[in-house]
Amino acid sequence: MEEEYEILENTVRDFNTKYVDNNSLKLENDTMGKDFVKMLAGQGFFSMTSQAEGGAGTDIKALSIVLENLAKSAPAVAVKTLLSNSFSTAVKEQDVLGAVADGSKSGTVTFSDLLVGKGQNGNLVLEKGRVSGEKEFVVGSDSDFIITLVDSGELVLLKSGFKTGKKHKKLGFRSIGFSSIVVDTEDFTILSKDGRKTMERMYEDLSIPVAAISLGMSEGVSQKALDYAKVRTAFGHYLKDFQPLAFDLSSLVAEMEILKRYFRDLLSSSPSQKEAMFLKHKSLTLAKDISRTSLQIHGGYGYLEDFGIEKFYRDSMALSVLFHSEEKDMEKLSGLVFESKAGFV
Amino acid sequence: MDFELNDEAKEAVVKAREFANKYFTEEVAERSDREEQFPTDIVAISKREKILDFSNPWKVLVTIEELVRKDPGLGISVTISAFGAEIFMFFGNDAQKEKYMNPVFAGQKTLGLGVTEAGGGSDVANIKTEAKLDGDSYLLNGGKMFISNGQIADYFLVLARTTQPPSPEKKHRGLSVFIVDSKTPGFSVNKLHGKLGVRATNTAELIFNNVRVPKENMIGEEGKGFYYIMTFFNISRIYVAAQGLGIAHGALDRLVDYSKKYGEVSETGELKESLQLAIAEIATRVEAARNLTYKAASYLFKFTPNPVVTSMSKYYAADTAVFSTRRAMELMSIHGLTTDLERFFRDAKILDIWEGTTEVEKLIITRMMLKEEGA
Repeated sequence: MEEEYEILENTVRDFNTKYVDNNSLKLENDTMGKDFVKMLAGQGFFSMTSQAEGGAGTDIKALSIVLENLAKSAPAVAVKTLLSNSFSTAVKEQDVLGAVADGSKSGTVTFSDLLVGKGQNGNLVLEKGRVSGEKEFVVGSDSDFIITLVDSGELVLLKSGFKTGKKHKKLGFRSIGFSSIVVDTEDFTILSKDGRKTMERMYEDLSIPVAAISLGMSEGVSQKALDYAKVRTAFGHYLKDFQPLAFDLSSLVAEMEILKRYFRDLLSSSPSQKEAMFLKHKSLTLAKDISRTSLQIHGGYGYLEDFGIEKFYRDSMALSVLFHSEEKDMEKLSGLVFESKAGFV
Repeated sequence: MDFELNDEAKEAVVKAREFANKYFTEEVAERSDREEQFPTDIVAISKREKILDFSNPWKVLVTIEELVRKDPGLGISVTISAFGAEIFMFFGNDAQKEKYMNPVFAGQKTLGLGVTEAGGGSDVANIKTEAKLDGDSYLLNGGKMFISNGQIADYFLVLARTTQPPSPEKKHRGLSVFIVDSKTPGFSVNKLHGKLGVRATNTAELIFNNVRVPKENMIGEEGKGFYYIMTFFNISRIYVAAQGLGIAHGALDRLVDYSKKYGEVSETGELKESLQLAIAEIATRVEAARNLTYKAASYLFKFTPNPVVTSMSKYYAADTAVFSTRRAMELMSIHGLTTDLERFFRDAKILDIWEGTTEVEKLIITRMMLKEEGA
């Protein structure tokens, strides 16, 4: 890894040690708090893709390294960081970008527009200079700025005049708002006339960052399982001595290490969309598999939140639902693999 | 060979379904889950309406399946109030049955079973709780972990060591089972919070600090406790398999509903094939799990238990529950995440762990098979 990225990785590790590791349950389940968000922003984590003054500019590699390492301790913090950066790629207004970059304001994107069928996540109407209606399934609905699609196809930046509506169940990332938003505003900017296409590009750009979070979660949860299996005994042996447990976990760790190598290789090149989707697809599956096995190794204790395992079980599934659609992603991936439209019947 | 339930069991299914539809509202289920609140009122109603008919184990089995299919947390809470009662049935004396078992079966009292310990888990014989004879009673010291009904049970059946094992390899000897009244001085409880799932159920840590238990509260013979508990697990695992069936079937219900409402269709107007195949796979697994569970139950209910099939049923039904909820979540996307399937997904995972982990079940299957074959 290049030196600057090694330094970045160490920076995130230090940040985790100081501010996240001992606080990860609260950061996951409760609230991040303004001070914590400002600290995150202060590290420059929210502006890695921002073109704003002081922002790092688009650097997916740096962002991915940050996300991977944050996710090892607190996946919700990684997702919060992802949302901010994803938001910043589409916005050009310096005052908005600056406020998100310094953590005084927050931004999100309603990717549910792409993940469910048209009209299944509500309706927003743009008419006579006004956006109104209700949009469902907004991750980060407690944000100050929201990028969303309106029914007539434009991608708009909502700057005020909206509020959270019906709260949704939160399987994962519980400290991040997840609800509908009720909108009635004239305070917005049109970012793109062909909004769906723009949002699809933003979604495609998420592939490696989402894979980074998945891999970070896999690393975090498997490390907990490895540590536990070395000290916990049953039937007169350490858990690590039992074949089923050792073989299962070792096999998954092998898969993880191969994916990490692939991840690093992609980061040091210019990955194709196909390669990025390969990584995302396999990393999300791994995170779910390795979380299940790691929880199983912890037995009943894994089922309790205090042990910091069950959150990975929830978050790995939440990530694969909120930033991925099996049907749509696989159709896309099949098209790339077959080099023509495939997997649609 | 008859794969049909008899009429009584079919009626129990209908009764359970009506009960669940009436009382397991999403509001109650969601609140119980969020607040980790045992549904005391619903459990009381279920007892009044005799939702569980302990005179017919088939009815109990299908009732568990059907209630859990509607909501796992509430379904298990309603059907677990007699947890451990079979130990009385098979090994208790008449006086114990009269005093403790009958009120439990009548719905007047709640029972809990204290086996697992903080350092024990699957290694049941390694428990540290001790019972020392002191005059006409035993003094219990130690603790139990992850105990269902821990805070609400009137009585517990507690496994404790009464004599030291003859050798480390024979730790299963010298263990005995005692009836402990929850009002006994020295007994205390800590409710466990922050469970991933089945949050409506009441789970606690039990602490015994010089708890005095009358001699007559020992079940069966001294030193046979491990055998009694293992015998019980060979019964209870079938009911856990029924929980797994209920969860898996519930996930299938929700996926089918989703498919009808939101499932993408191809040019031919049919559901896209990946979704069709996923539904078929889950449905097949549910049916296979059901056949295994009912087969295990048919052996048991004829008093010829088959531990191999029992462990197969528990392992497979638990795995099917986890598999089905995960696949349904993946396929239903945000529609799964924002509905009660999210709860099913969290609830399912405990089945891999309690009443014998999946790994332990697999070991039992092979060891018993080899033993039967004389290998």
